[in-house]
Amino acid sequence: MSGHGQSKPPQRVVIVPCSGIGKTYGTVSREAAYDLTEDLRPETAQLVPLSLLVLGNEAAREAVAAGPAITIDGCKLACATKMVKENGGKVARDFAVLDVYRRYRQFKPQGIAELNEEGGRLARALAEEAARVVDDLSTGGQHG
Amino acid sequence: MTEFLKTTVDKFTFRVATDRYYNDQGVWALEEAGRVRIGLSDFVQQRSGDVAFAEIKPAGTVLAFGDEAAAIETIKVNIIFGSPATGKVVEVNPAMHDAPEAINQDPYGEGWLAVIEPSDWAADRARLLDPQAYFVRMRAEAEEEAKKL
Repeated sequence: MSGHGQSKPPQRVVIVPCSGIGKTYGTVSREAAYDLTEDLRPETAQLVPLSLLVLGNEAAREAVAAGPAITIDGCKLACATKMVKENGGKVARDFAVLDVYRRYRQFKPQGIAELNEEGGRLARALAEEAARVVDDLSTGGQHG
Repeated sequence: MTEFLKTTVDKFTFRVATDRYYNDQGVWALEEAGRVRIGLSDFVQQRSGDVAFAEIKPAGTVLAFGDEAAAIETIKVNIIFGSPATGKVVEVNPAMHDAPEAINQDPYGEGWLAVIEPSDWAADRARLLDPQAYFVRMRAEAEEEAKKL
């Protein structure tokens, strides 16, 4: 007997960004979510499009209900956070693009369909902050 | 207690506080014991969007009527606001540094910008709009904005 316990697989964290089309901050939120789920933490972070939650997509609702969620809202309406809660999910951390921008004033986002370079950097900075939260959550840590 | 004139244009409702005066940019000026507190109207904050940063001229700055008193950066625009009073800035709202969203949350209260010690308030006041005049102007501007939507 080795005495080694079986390690628990990391928990997948659901990422729900703003779906605001035609708004710069909405685009930042989505780009951050793509950076996070496709590049920084593809194994432990799962993107759930807000539009699917709004449409009542069953797979999206199940994903949100199953794991902790990080929401990324583009404006104070906080649609991503509200929809996760309405679908029975637990929001472990809600990011607001405006608050993140206040911490990175040098990255002023501009553009809608395509962000300017600074906007891309802001999205990356947001994704990196969110990645640290994902790491905490996926290993069972609590984040407020 | 502050009372308001209200109008709804499209889906937006705008309030104008009736206890103060306004310049043509929508900067309000409220006389308080010989000093003048300034801030932004509800229409200005709604039209401008969520405020990311607010930079107010520091205490000790001497302003002429119309001189830059404050600059805000919102999710939509950068705007410079002229002073509605000639005089010296004697106090700046400390919330403007850490929580400029107070402008959006409470434009006529906690979201004030600065307090000015005026040198000739009677003369400045005569150049400002009273609440009814600003209300008419603001509503016209709001209706123009609504046509663009």
